[in-house]
Amino acid sequence: MSTAPNQLLADDPLEPYPLMVGRPDDRTVTEDVLRPIWRPTRKGWLMLVGLGSVGVALFGLAVTVTFAVGIGAWGNNIPVAWAFDITNFVWWIGIGHAGTLISAILLLFQQRWRTSINRMAEAMTLFAVMMAGAYPLLHLGRPQFFYWLFPYPSTLGLWPQFKSPLLWDVFAVSTYFTVSFLFWYLGLIPDLASLRDASKHRWQRMVYGIFALGWRGSAHHWRHYRIAYLLLAGLATPLVLSVHTIVSFDFAVSVLPGWHTTIFPPYFVAGAIFSGFAMVLTLMIPARRYLGLEHFVTMRHLENMAKVILATGLMVDYGYVMENFFAWYGGNPYEAFAFWNRSHGPYAWAFFTQMTCNVLVPQLLWFRKLRTSVAVLWVISILVNVGMWLERFNIIVVSLHRDFMPTMWGIYTPTWVDWSLFIGTIATFGTLFLLFLRAVPAVSASEVKELRRQLDAEAAGGGTHAVPHLSQTRPEAS
Amino acid sequence: MPSMSDRPSLPAPSDGDRSERPDSRAALPKLWRNLTELAGAPSISPEEIPPEVGELVHLGRRGFLQVLGGSAAVMGLAACRPPHEKLVPYVHQPVEVTPGTPQAYATAVAIDGLATGVLVTSYQGRPTKVEGNPAHPSSLGAIGTFEQATLLDLYDPGRARGREVLGQPFALRPFLVRASELAASHDADKGARLRFLVGPSSSPLIGDLRRRLLERFPRARFRTWAPLSEDARTEGSRVAFGQPLDPRLHLDKASVVLALDADLFGTDPEALRQSREFTSRRNPGPDLNRLYVAETTLTVTGGFADHRFRMRPSEVLGFGQAIAAALAERHGLAQLRPLGHSLPAGSPHLRAAAAVAADLARSRGKCLVAVGPGQPPAVHALGHALNAALGADGATITYRQPVLHDTQTGPDGLRELAAEIAAGQVDTLVCTAWNPAYSAPADLDFGGLLRKVPHSIYLSTRQDETWARCNWKLGATHPFESWGDARGRDGTASIVQPLLAPLWETTSEAELLSAILGEGRSTYDQVRDLWRSRARLAGPAFEQAWSAWLAQGIVPATAEPVVRATPRWEAIAAAVGAVKLPTGGLEVRFAPDAKVLDGRFAENAWMQELPDPITSLCWDNAAQVSPATAGQLGIDNGAVVKLTCRDRSIEAPVWIVPGHADGAVTLPLGYGRATTVPQPVELDNKPEPLANGIGFDAYRLRRSTAFWFDAGLAVTATGRRWTFAVQQGDFAQEGRPHALSYTNGDWPKQGTHEVEEHRGPQPVIIEPVNYDKEAYKWGMAIDLSRCTGCSACVIACQEENNIPVVGREQVQRRRQMHWLRIDRYFSGTAEDPVTISQPVACVHCESAPCEYVCPVNATVHSDEGLNEMIYNRCVGTRYCSNNCPYKVRRFNFLDYRGEMEPTEKMLMNPDVTVRVRGVMEKCTYCVQRIERSRIQARVEGRPIREGEVKSACQQSCPTEAIAFGNLNDPTSRVAALHRDERRYDLLHDLGTRPRTAYLVRITNPNPELT
Amino acid sequence: MSALFKPSSNILFRTVLFIGVVVVLAIPVTLMTWARTPFGTNQFDPVTQPVQFDHRHHVVDDGIDCRYCHTSVDRSASAGIPPTELCLNCHSQIWNKSALLDVVRQSGATGQPIEWLRVHRLPDFVYFNHAIHVNKGVGCASCHGRVDQMAAVQQVAPLTMNWCLDCHRNPAPHLRPPDQITNLAWRPEGDAAAIGQELMKRYDVHSRTSCTTCHR
Repeated sequence: MSTAPNQLLADDPLEPYPLMVGRPDDRTVTEDVLRPIWRPTRKGWLMLVGLGSVGVALFGLAVTVTFAVGIGAWGNNIPVAWAFDITNFVWWIGIGHAGTLISAILLLFQQRWRTSINRMAEAMTLFAVMMAGAYPLLHLGRPQFFYWLFPYPSTLGLWPQFKSPLLWDVFAVSTYFTVSFLFWYLGLIPDLASLRDASKHRWQRMVYGIFALGWRGSAHHWRHYRIAYLLLAGLATPLVLSVHTIVSFDFAVSVLPGWHTTIFPPYFVAGAIFSGFAMVLTLMIPARRYLGLEHFVTMRHLENMAKVILATGLMVDYGYVMENFFAWYGGNPYEAFAFWNRSHGPYAWAFFTQMTCNVLVPQLLWFRKLRTSVAVLWVISILVNVGMWLERFNIIVVSLHRDFMPTMWGIYTPTWVDWSLFIGTIATFGTLFLLFLRAVPAVSASEVKELRRQLDAEAAGGGTHAVPHLSQTRPEAS
Repeated sequence: MPSMSDRPSLPAPSDGDRSERPDSRAALPKLWRNLTELAGAPSISPEEIPPEVGELVHLGRRGFLQVLGGSAAVMGLAACRPPHEKLVPYVHQPVEVTPGTPQAYATAVAIDGLATGVLVTSYQGRPTKVEGNPAHPSSLGAIGTFEQATLLDLYDPGRARGREVLGQPFALRPFLVRASELAASHDADKGARLRFLVGPSSSPLIGDLRRRLLERFPRARFRTWAPLSEDARTEGSRVAFGQPLDPRLHLDKASVVLALDADLFGTDPEALRQSREFTSRRNPGPDLNRLYVAETTLTVTGGFADHRFRMRPSEVLGFGQAIAAALAERHGLAQLRPLGHSLPAGSPHLRAAAAVAADLARSRGKCLVAVGPGQPPAVHALGHALNAALGADGATITYRQPVLHDTQTGPDGLRELAAEIAAGQVDTLVCTAWNPAYSAPADLDFGGLLRKVPHSIYLSTRQDETWARCNWKLGATHPFESWGDARGRDGTASIVQPLLAPLWETTSEAELLSAILGEGRSTYDQVRDLWRSRARLAGPAFEQAWSAWLAQGIVPATAEPVVRATPRWEAIAAAVGAVKLPTGGLEVRFAPDAKVLDGRFAENAWMQELPDPITSLCWDNAAQVSPATAGQLGIDNGAVVKLTCRDRSIEAPVWIVPGHADGAVTLPLGYGRATTVPQPVELDNKPEPLANGIGFDAYRLRRSTAFWFDAGLAVTATGRRWTFAVQQGDFAQEGRPHALSYTNGDWPKQGTHEVEEHRGPQPVIIEPVNYDKEAYKWGMAIDLSRCTGCSACVIACQEENNIPVVGREQVQRRRQMHWLRIDRYFSGTAEDPVTISQPVACVHCESAPCEYVCPVNATVHSDEGLNEMIYNRCVGTRYCSNNCPYKVRRFNFLDYRGEMEPTEKMLMNPDVTVRVRGVMEKCTYCVQRIERSRIQARVEGRPIREGEVKSACQQSCPTEAIAFGNLNDPTSRVAALHRDERRYDLLHDLGTRPRTAYLVRITNPNPELT
Repeated sequence: MSALFKPSSNILFRTVLFIGVVVVLAIPVTLMTWARTPFGTNQFDPVTQPVQFDHRHHVVDDGIDCRYCHTSVDRSASAGIPPTELCLNCHSQIWNKSALLDVVRQSGATGQPIEWLRVHRLPDFVYFNHAIHVNKGVGCASCHGRVDQMAAVQQVAPLTMNWCLDCHRNPAPHLRPPDQITNLAWRPEGDAAAIGQELMKRYDVHSRTSCTTCHR
């Protein structure tokens, strides 16, 4: 029963958009949420997946070539020893921040608007981190020895170098992935159970049944579930900040002008959330439409995310200002040149595009009209993604290509392999997301039901307290 | 195969190296075929291989075997190691060989007949490194790029080999018969139709053979051909002194030097000695010498000069005359008056000429004038006159009889030969000169004429243009494979001894000539007999002397005596007055190329990838023009232009060189090759000759009558473009204090305290490690006052450290692998830039930024403060390179070694790991040498002595600009230089505490000109 | 609703989970262990050589010193594999008819070297030097074991980097007096540690652990 939300929206600008359009009962919620999974495959979805698989194939080809030929297949050189590889890595990791932030931090802050978007955001996060994780391995000159980066007792009597940020990356990223995955999966369990119970075919029931870990929705289950969920949220919260902080160390601890900057950790985290939310929007706007869940993922959610983008965007801008201020105020000729070179050097185009996408465009979100227009939001979100990719490109490639010794200056030009890897990861990421939409509920049914109860209670004037919890009124899910 | 065995002497790539086994297997049968031909055939064994050579041949064979064993042995990764490798010991171990320990053999490398003494390091019969012989007057311990590069030629699988007569392959024995038959056919007319075209040679052995050939064939003729002929030089002395004399410059005695178009430190045959002698006076202070250079093309010498006057080639004479005039008028050298001719008013060089003249006059007897081979005889004569008038004769310049058999090596002799061939007067042409078909002046069409000769015998190391046009083709033996002798420019003779048996079926020049002479005696016997008679020794006395000569690398007291040279003023005046110089329009100057010389090194990958000392171009030559001229012609870098001169035209890409003379174009010789693909059957992958398809052939514009420069050049843009492979990114210092330079005047006042801020301790949070208590604290010092940028160190490093060549395309991608690069900066105006060269390798920071970022500890600090790079631990994150402010780290982006031919493996220095794809590498301060010396010293229970460990770059450096040693030994040279007031650190403000210190360059401009 | 899984499936499920975890943990552990076993290090694997050369006979019965054949062990990186002529010095006189020595005589006659099989193999990027070890009091037996008791030589030391480092970090226990270097049977009398310390001083031992000591 997807009612076109827009008619139901209040026209009064002071009136916030509703968190949920209509008051569907538990059964309808379950039906709405599960419908996209049961209904027959659609052409659009198939075409997209087809397109995606082509990209995946391209990715596979590029990876094969890289392993067969070596890093020489890329455009990297001396001085630009890192280029697309690390740019993409940082970009994907950054994108991977929104999910955990939404699910963990907003949970702790009891932000209700997280409820119907956290599932998609977390899934997005997982896939993004997977993509990011591919690059550190790919960019090794001798990937067959990747395990030397792990501390294990070898017959060489050698250990990794714990001073190197690259090593911290290994730990940070793997931890982050594990926690985000557990978080996502834990949240899925009740819905997997309802999937199991709603399954028509036995094999479906078996599969969902196995993953539902025998969830019956008993009070006990709910108690443990909530405790675990809160614990994980507590565990994930610092990670949101730590991961990109550590990634930023890759640059901040170096001596390279344009990298060696104390402001990097906060500036990177802000940037990460900035791009993360942008990516959530990019995916969620078409997804909610496709899933017919506009009444759960309402304009309220989109608008809030727009506001977060605006806020973090401003932090990023502050970062830009400070970087350049320090470069000038610090009086280090090399650093001054590095920043001058960004806007005047051969890569000036990248710099100005980045500034347009990251500084100018987000300002549009000040206007309610624009930030509540789905189309505008979507375009902006994409531009922000572009801008954030270019930001990393400028930090990495443009800082490297002209550093201390003019005699060793050089230009970086990507090869087809570089491009294929980049496009390949995007395609893989998209395909995974499409599969996710078809396999599990993209919106957490259980939490939506809980949210409805809260809203009812408020409507009844009871305020947010004394809300009968799901576990009291047995959801028909079991 | 001991060395190979206990020490896998070819530490080839760990990964994917199993592929090497087929290689070596494939090579084995070939090897034995080769050896049986050498040793097996009884008919030749006695005279072919004398016992002593037998020893060496033997050793060479063993060496070869070891390599094969070794290459089979190298099976890479422990994980995929074969059950068991082969250990192949000697059958009869030569006494002088200690497995696992290299020997050094003294021999000589002759380029255009002039020998440079070298010491060749050899591991059980595999020469791996060429170094200078301190005892040799033309080397003084230094070694140039070309001499070193000959080693790569030795092992090049693309070398010409075999003997082919009119399409038929011949083994040695039958060939000797065939050759003597041919010779016999010329006895009737006493060799009237027999001609020899040879390269310049000073070898007494060859001289003796020539004498005996002419005895048998009185009417035969020898012509000598060298594309870089110094005929003008000889002719000039003939004009000036009535006899051909060879001037020898003593730059260590001269305080003022004027070089007229003379590249004293670059392509000059005596560059090594001259550089050493000149820079011996290059310390700041009153004794600092001064160098004026008048030239067209910016050369190494010009870049090093205190004053450089750029002028068209034809203007040099005028400049010299103006100086003569000034000396005559103002400084009372009346005898110069007839030569003098002041410059036209408004000439840019008026002041210069006056000032130089004054400076020369001030330092009479302590100055000299040098003239380059590119200038006509009159200018040389003028130079002699100036030297005589300035009292340089006998003081800073001495004269000797030329050591070459033919004083005439230029186009004139070749023209006569061409005429004879055209007239059909030549039945047999024996050609051992280097590639005349390619290098002969275009107007002779020598290549075409060659086809007219019924029997054209060509001996060459390459299947070059001439090879394709001759019908007797003989692969030439490499100097390191055969016995012989040669003389240095001053006459000092060296015995050339082989380091290994010929790798392939080849013939040496001496063998060929004696074959025609119908003599079967081995070269070895001939050399010994010759020298026995020359030395008037016999029996044990001779044997003793002989082994002494071999050990020292020189035959003592063989230098030509200095002869008194009295100038003939009228003759000189007449010559100077009579000289006709081409004028009008753009002038074209033909120049030897810094990388391939006249083209004979075009197939040498090391030389091709060596960045040109001035233009920094790799794998290319370019038509060099000045910025102004380029502006007038409306062309820019990379524009392909059509060069037309006297109805001949070629197309060439343009490279704009600051400091090049306006109104002139420089065309480096030796490119645009059409070498044929080598045919040897055992080559798995026949490589396309690497010189083909790059650069342009300037010989096509060169005429026998305008040999070095010409006028009336027309330049038209074709609209097409050419992308060069340039090693260097930017030629400006961007206002950064990288290569510091002061004038002798500014230095004490201003420089000394300005430099203070580029050295000394830096405020640090963490106290750096203190290495002063260590027994050894290795460090380096590079004196920019001495570095000419000649690039000898770059090749030395490449040879010592198994550095791969990456090829043109990879250089364009900025992936060159040289551990040691020479940064050259231009400052001042684009018209008259100040050029400064700065060698940069890893500076071994004590607080190294590269180390703390490596996640796997692949680059760490040693207890003696070396910044170590451990290839086998490297996973290739390239983080270290990003964090290296000096950008001296090199990454194996691709498998640059690829599949090596067996002989290419022989080239590898067994003390240095051959790096695989995906690992980082960089300068190690030649740590393998440090460790070898350390072990030697520890075994003998003594400390390592000062000078015992020399880095490869230091060892090669002609100017001793590089010092290396123990900083904790206050008496060491490097420690002294680190204490020098000129010492500064590169990027000092980063606090990296580099172990390599630089010394400020001090120039000595003439106050009157500043 | 009908039960989807039998109660027993809980146990099954838990077991599967458990095994999964164990396998994941076991793989690296197994590899690390394997690398330390003789299979990983090529230890204790007697090699049959083209010539049945028996060290027991030559060393014990004939009392030939190691350096008689491995001539350069005390002055070069390589110990030296004896050239054929060295074998024939004796065997042209004794056992000069023995079929066991056919290969040797053949090699001597044809000049074709004998192709022995390597027993102790270090990776190509490891630069071991015999001279310095022998001159600083490390005996043959320390690395090669009781060759005098081997019919066919086998590798007894693991030759792993860790093994090298153990000695380089604490050489004292592995040192012996100069006259005992080639004495394979030598055992320190009395306090080994004290003897080691004393020898350390006497030899002026500075065993280094900087990477370039072995890797260049």
